[in-house]
Amino acid sequence: MARVNTVLGPVPAETLGIVAFHEHIGYGMPGSELDSKWWKTPEQKYEETVPKLRRFHELGGGTFVDATGICNGRDVDYYKSLSAKTGVHIVACTGFVGGDTALTHFAKASVEYLADQFIHEITVGIGRSGAQAGIIKVGVSRGGRMTELDKRIYRAAARAAKLTGVPVMTHLAIDAEPAVEIFHDEGLPLDRVVFGHVDDGVNADKTNDVWIAEQGGRIGFDTFGYETELPDPPFWARPRQERLDHFLRFIGGPGRLEMVLASADANCSPLGWPGVKGHTVNYIFDDLIPDLRKAGVDEATITTIFVDNPANFLTLHV
Amino acid sequence: MTDAHVPRTAAVNSVVGPIPADQLGVVAVHESLLSVVPGAEYAFDIDLDRVTIFDTLAAKLREFKAAGGGTIVDTTGMFHGRDLRLLESLARVTGVNIVASTGMGPEENLGGYFLTPQTNPPTPWPAEKFADLFTQEITEGMVIPRLERRNPAGLIVVEADRAGITPTEVSLVQGAARASVGTGVALSIRWGADAVGDVTYAVNEGLSADRIVVGGCDRVDAVNAGVAAELAGQGCYVAIDHVGSTGPAYIDDAARVALVVDLIAQGFANRILLSSNAIGVAAGLEAVEVPFGFVVGTFASMLRDAGVSETDVRQILADNPRDVLTVRSEKKA
Repeated sequence: MARVNTVLGPVPAETLGIVAFHEHIGYGMPGSELDSKWWKTPEQKYEETVPKLRRFHELGGGTFVDATGICNGRDVDYYKSLSAKTGVHIVACTGFVGGDTALTHFAKASVEYLADQFIHEITVGIGRSGAQAGIIKVGVSRGGRMTELDKRIYRAAARAAKLTGVPVMTHLAIDAEPAVEIFHDEGLPLDRVVFGHVDDGVNADKTNDVWIAEQGGRIGFDTFGYETELPDPPFWARPRQERLDHFLRFIGGPGRLEMVLASADANCSPLGWPGVKGHTVNYIFDDLIPDLRKAGVDEATITTIFVDNPANFLTLHV
Repeated sequence: MTDAHVPRTAAVNSVVGPIPADQLGVVAVHESLLSVVPGAEYAFDIDLDRVTIFDTLAAKLREFKAAGGGTIVDTTGMFHGRDLRLLESLARVTGVNIVASTGMGPEENLGGYFLTPQTNPPTPWPAEKFADLFTQEITEGMVIPRLERRNPAGLIVVEADRAGITPTEVSLVQGAARASVGTGVALSIRWGADAVGDVTYAVNEGLSADRIVVGGCDRVDAVNAGVAAELAGQGCYVAIDHVGSTGPAYIDDAARVALVVDLIAQGFANRILLSSNAIGVAAGLEAVEVPFGFVVGTFASMLRDAGVSETDVRQILADNPRDVLTVRSEKKA
């Protein structure tokens, strides 16, 4: 049985539909909750979030994977209410966006402890919510190289993924050699890992996506929509056509299409930063899929990218 | 000394609102009620059972009151388990005045929001931003994260790395000092490797020495370097604040008595603070099981046995912390 953990319980992988595999209900750096300049009322949060998820659902979106790490404002009870009221499956993650978003308690923890934390959140549940995590988030800290803590988190994630069968998603795919080595070391097949953010404006040039794919890793083009054409683009923005060309070039390679995932990394209602106005998960429907069609990508390929690949990836391998 | 600047109607910021300074009684000035290592609230193996926490702390506060304590200062700052609704309830049911603190540190306990912001490059926060954050906790009230503000903080606490203050911690101390200057709420510094140097960062921001509490004056390295007398001589309040604890990093209680006696002999009775850095309930770290009433009970008796006068005991346990906690209504010229 192909199962996927969502915040409202496991669902058959065949029912996920179109998946936005790297998104955020709301993301904030740890500590941003102390700064009241970012606070929003619950009314405001729901008002900013529910219409986006409803529209996602109406446009054919089935599943929203939330990539917000443990200390980044992840709020599973809130996700449960959003999922129940909008009909969108929401998959929550365990893990950390990067070592630099793991607070002291975890930053000082051993690989064994971190693995136990992830395993507990996957098999028992997150906090008192009862919701089981469906994916493990790991990532590279600011600075461009994997830190010792990043590596500890990757190793713990590899062990937890191997034991529980959930996949791993990375924030950034730069400095991938040590990551690949850790996953090999722990015996986690690389097709259980999606190496993300290969397409962002800051890191695309420094990311060897072809090499990662050759090793067997999945590749995440997941910052679609963060474009330099925006009125106020973030520092990781990239020219729209350049990213699209990169994507098309990549999937044109041998055996690559099955290894690729795509998403928009948008915040429904950001928690500790202004967010990027106008950029939502629905970029996938409003811009990305039309752009792909315009470029001659057929419907079967679009289904592979947004339905089949994520379903295979998110299915618990036990 | 600027004690004359303290107005008679002066107030102290407690968790249930301002209270007259003359109603504090004996004060335990450096303690922790609920202390949670940042992140431990998300740990799979830590159960922060609210009923157990409440009952445990209420019992400890009642014990403190029975020993003669009147006011306790929770020095966990704004990001180490501070639970304002818990503290408010405890103050109401036990009758012990509770003063909560703003501030943060050391750097390892700061969130990524302050250390690696979403900017390119990710430059850590400058002093000015820390000043604003802490000032708001006093002028607008302490935060319950992402929910609401409650009453103003009664103390600003910062801490530096034991291996030596880091550049970000320098910003933290400077920002906290500016907040102290601007609001009249005192600053407590738990220093890193160089007490005098760390305090200087605050003084250089225009903060009067008599608004600075220096913690850890009973650390072995502090005693060896004569930190307490030097900083008391500059006008700072020196906190001998691990009373009841022993261990390689700290002198023992007999040596603490000797230190107090020596400071009094040098004329610093009005600069000494005593506390235990006890932790009532700890998550993610070891509790420090010294009773909150240990100083006012056992240790005060040791001081009397060593010849310390009742007047000096009162000065140290009540008057000095009262002067620290009293919010300065006028900025010092």
